[in-house]
Amino acid sequence: MLFRPNPASGVPIYLQLMEQVKHSIETGALRPGEQLPGIRPLAEELVINPNTVAKAYRELEHEGVIELRQGAGAFVSGNARAKELTDKVRAGQTVVAAVVGRLRARGVTDEEIRRLFEAELAGLRKTGERRG
Amino acid sequence: MLWYKSWLDTRSRFLVGLVLLVLSACGTVFYYPQVLKLMPMASTIEASGDLGRRIREGVALASNYRGYIWSQWMRQAMTNLATLFAVLLGSGGLFSRASGDSALFTLSLPASRTRVLGVRAATGLAQLLALAVIPALFLPLLSPGVGQSYSPTDALVHGVCLFVAAATFFSLALLLSTVFTDLWRPLLIACGVAIALSLYEAALRGQSTYGIFRVMSGEDYFRTGRLPWLGLFSSVTASAAMLFTATRTLARQDF
Amino acid sequence: MADSLVIETADLRKRYDDVEALCGLSLQVPAGSICGFLGRNGAGKTTTIKILLGMARPTSGQARVFGLAADRPEPSVAIRRRTGFVSEDKDLYDGMTVEEIVRYTAAFYPHWRVDLEQRYLRKFELPSGRKVKALSRGMRTKLALLLAFSRGAELLILDEPTSGLDPVVTEEVLQAIVGHVAGAATTVFFSSHQIAEVDQIADRVAIVDRGRVAVAGALEDLRETYCRVQMVFDRDAPEPALRTPGVVRTRRDGRVLSVLSSAGPEGILDEARALGPVSTEVVAVTLKEIFLETVRHED
Repeated sequence: MLFRPNPASGVPIYLQLMEQVKHSIETGALRPGEQLPGIRPLAEELVINPNTVAKAYRELEHEGVIELRQGAGAFVSGNARAKELTDKVRAGQTVVAAVVGRLRARGVTDEEIRRLFEAELAGLRKTGERRG
Repeated sequence: MLWYKSWLDTRSRFLVGLVLLVLSACGTVFYYPQVLKLMPMASTIEASGDLGRRIREGVALASNYRGYIWSQWMRQAMTNLATLFAVLLGSGGLFSRASGDSALFTLSLPASRTRVLGVRAATGLAQLLALAVIPALFLPLLSPGVGQSYSPTDALVHGVCLFVAAATFFSLALLLSTVFTDLWRPLLIACGVAIALSLYEAALRGQSTYGIFRVMSGEDYFRTGRLPWLGLFSSVTASAAMLFTATRTLARQDF
Repeated sequence: MADSLVIETADLRKRYDDVEALCGLSLQVPAGSICGFLGRNGAGKTTTIKILLGMARPTSGQARVFGLAADRPEPSVAIRRRTGFVSEDKDLYDGMTVEEIVRYTAAFYPHWRVDLEQRYLRKFELPSGRKVKALSRGMRTKLALLLAFSRGAELLILDEPTSGLDPVVTEEVLQAIVGHVAGAATTVFFSSHQIAEVDQIADRVAIVDRGRVAVAGALEDLRETYCRVQMVFDRDAPEPALRTPGVVRTRRDGRVLSVLSSAGPEGILDEARALGPVSTEVVAVTLKEIFLETVRHED
């Protein structure tokens, strides 16, 4: 896995890793049914805590993107599921692109846009409901 | 491994000391024929007062071989060198920064401070014993070379007395090394103490028959054939007390 | 196994002459974790470590490693038999060669792992015949790590392992730590004032400030419970007396009121609504912010 997580970006490392896995599936770097790197070797390669890798894998399994097979390792989910989920992400990306375009047209700077999204996500995560 | 490291740390000092002491012993032996030639002249020296007394005393002592060895080597060179090297061996303990070593590394190993100090003390004392006895044993070995003989028993006894008395200075230096972390202060202080003691002894020469340097040179044994038991015992006790204090001091220290 | 505490201190105090280096430091490090010990210079990190390893004695309080008392001589030796240590200055024996110091250290540990020794000698490219004093700082650090790793220790205590190292060697050192831990049931306790590296490899963190642990816990939990609530008012921001527990810091800047909370935003949002802000937002907080806000004191 050729990427370096950025600990200072504000996005938790496990999320970055999850994103990277999904991106790899989407671009075809990881194919359905293919095995993912083991937790320990991956942690060593990325120089991050093994628990972080474990958490990312668990969340990905929870979302159905990968399967964790006892004793064998982590595998990308078979055909439809993984593709379907990454398609969901891709659709989401289209929506985001549109929103960002509109905000920019209104003169909102990129930094402000980023903060709006983060606040929205953080707010939703913490209060569990919309505020205001 | 602690033993090996202790040996490594003090190896040079030990070897230099051994060489110097052996050379000075040999030098004294081989100079005897010269002294014999000078003897008649010495008896004719007219000197008065203290100096005169001392010259006459020296001449008297040197009139036989055993006296010569004692007065010319054991009383001066041997005791001075032994004291110096006892202090050198005891300085710069296993925890000093002097040799580029790290106290923290040693302290992170699974060896108690008492054990580390104990090994250091034992190695040093073993080296001191060698320094005291080996050069002395050269005397019976080489004396036939100048047509004389020296009793191996005498050599051994003098060696042991030297060791026991010098061990006091070794223990002092080791104790000071636990208090001061550098190489020089224990060395200078212990040497200072030695010098002060020797001056004190010299000043009291007439009045008292006690003194650590008397024990070191084995004067009582030389003059009377009796071992200086009291002096030996005091030295051993003093050494033990100082080593014990060193252990306690080290145990309480923060690094 | 996760329930057992490898390191545990209770109200640890240490006084040097008239300086209080530790003022009641209480710390828990569970087995198997990589715990980052963050703090400013002089906050008490090295003092704590020295006490854990028996190099210094506490003035009062308790310190236990593997359940053994760290301030008594024999238990301390038992602790050190199972612990690998790298000091801040990477203290070693300058006069020995790499080979010699490895052999010397190995002699003290009956469970020395020759396989690990060989692996790290190769991986770190350490020249066997070179004297320790001739090694560069990076190589010294790697040698110190090798000596700590190869003893088959259950606990690694590292005092600022990456200090003074360039980014490449820093990454190599962090990678070696993660790689070593991933393969063995080892606990790592490392002090640092590089927040990024704690963020990267630690799963637990303890922030020490002025001789006390100010913040401690699993990094994940901290990231979830710490947040910043930012409120904008149409007049100058008020000075609220927030009674919700967990308020770390409140700042006012013109019409903006910012509250850093360690216990989630809910309580603060409730109290804040009463003040009638124009807008409120909840923002995630990085470890760096948590650290800076905890240790920066505006007196």
